[in-house]
Amino acid sequence: MALLELDGLTRRFGGIIAVDRVTMRVEAGEVRAVIGPNGAGKSTLFNLITGVVKASEGNVRFDDHVLTGQSPHSICRRGISRTFQITALFPEMTARENARLAAQARHVRRWQPYGGNTVFGDAEQRGDAALERLGLTHVASRPAGLLSHGDQRLLEVAMALAQQPRLLLLDEPTQGLSVEETAQAVETLAGLLSDGAMTVLLVEHDMEVVFRLARMITVLHRGAVIADGAPEQVRTDPDVQRAYLGGLA
Amino acid sequence: MRGWLGTIIVVGVLACAPAGLPPFAMTLLTEALILGLFAMSLDLMVGYTRLISFGHAAAYGLGAYTSGYLLLHTDIAMPFAVIAAALFSGVVAIGVAWVCTLASGVSFSMLTLAFAQLLYAVAFKWTSVTGASDGLAGIPRSPGPFGTTFFVGKSGFYYLVLVCLFGGFVFCRSLVRSPFGSVLRGIRENEAKTLSLGYNTRCYKIAVVAISFTLGGLAGALYAPFAGFANTELLFWLFSGQVLIMVIVGGAGTLVGPIIGAAFFMLVSNVLSSWTDSWALFFGLIFILFVLFAPQGIWGLATQAFTGEVAGARRGRWRSLNWTG
Repeated sequence: MALLELDGLTRRFGGIIAVDRVTMRVEAGEVRAVIGPNGAGKSTLFNLITGVVKASEGNVRFDDHVLTGQSPHSICRRGISRTFQITALFPEMTARENARLAAQARHVRRWQPYGGNTVFGDAEQRGDAALERLGLTHVASRPAGLLSHGDQRLLEVAMALAQQPRLLLLDEPTQGLSVEETAQAVETLAGLLSDGAMTVLLVEHDMEVVFRLARMITVLHRGAVIADGAPEQVRTDPDVQRAYLGGLA
Repeated sequence: MRGWLGTIIVVGVLACAPAGLPPFAMTLLTEALILGLFAMSLDLMVGYTRLISFGHAAAYGLGAYTSGYLLLHTDIAMPFAVIAAALFSGVVAIGVAWVCTLASGVSFSMLTLAFAQLLYAVAFKWTSVTGASDGLAGIPRSPGPFGTTFFVGKSGFYYLVLVCLFGGFVFCRSLVRSPFGSVLRGIRENEAKTLSLGYNTRCYKIAVVAISFTLGGLAGALYAPFAGFANTELLFWLFSGQVLIMVIVGGAGTLVGPIIGAAFFMLVSNVLSSWTDSWALFFGLIFILFVLFAPQGIWGLATQAFTGEVAGARRGRWRSLNWTG
């Protein structure tokens, strides 16, 4: 029983097919990357899974529940947390408050309109733990908007982690980072994923990042899956070379 | 703790006011406190959630007409009529917010304006209940509860207003610091992110509009027996604009700011109107200066001067307000 199953997932925007009958399985504990050239439909695929965009056809199943048609917040409550391709934070709150607010979303008393020391205490504890795992403790009390771009990218991951998700969706975690920042961020993420406790679906442009982090790869081209398998297998696939790697490998 | 000390001192001074101030000044002060409560209620939406309402007069008018109607046609004691009117306003707000939150940004603002104008039109036409263009006149301060006539008198009524304002302040202060309040802050800074974290942001927005309308309705409900009348001007868009100005000039995203903004508005408009008929023009200039050079408002400037900290919806850059968010 796979944790996440996509079955014939399709999304059309007018006459354009952004995601074309994608069928994919993500097993629990797997780190899978979705790669493909610009406009291959990677981000749309994420938006379909998280309910931001409604599917034209097909189904998303998560832990045996059908997610198709549910709202983004209720999908998130099932245990799917995501980061965004373009950094999305609460810029005037400190890094700690960002992580705390993320963790609070999982608290039963998140609605409480008074007091709240218990709620804040619990959430802050989980938020701080997530910050520590990503090496952000030293910037915890700084406003998120003033952090370096690299730290902002990691803070987004920390916020997702603070929710203790069962499935983590990372949308180009190294987007816009310099070479050194990327290397650093990849090391941090690799350390995080090394224990195999987390199920991750990763969209990434940078092939080095993909081969470093992912154990399974799905290749999208013009919205459709053209290859699926272990990195070595995908790297040598003739279709993939033609469509994406441009004969580099 | 220091914050509470200041609050207690201010409330203490205000409580002594009837002993020292002439009747005319007491009338102004009572109205200022009512407007302060009204502006503070709007700040929950504008300053804390970045829901810009151009129709907050709807809350005030609903409260005023409801309490006026109850006081004219029933024997309910005034404090109870006031509370009932406030709750009624909050319940109506749930429906209003349910529709308005289908949109966001400018569209949200326009829908709030449309609703307020709709109520304005209703008040104009529904003669049997609202008295049309005459409004409701001769609204009494019914005695009670339990046979007391304390609230009928001028200073008794003033204390009722003061208690409502203080109660509203304590309530709002607790609200904005609670887990619920932190989600509002999240919506203010990045609604899409708040949604993706698993918060049903629309429910939070509807809730905050309902709370804001309840408190705004409370202010309106106090105004009717204070002035003895309720007319369509209380629902007019001009009044919605004025209360928005009070919030911004006083300091959005701080609860004290809007109260000060309301008092400032009362004071300056009184002074200016004794000099010139076109006082609104000059107040407009003051407003423009605040938006351009002191977007943190009077209270923001004061906090900055005394503590060096930037308060509230600080950096509350109205110039770069994200309408699309």
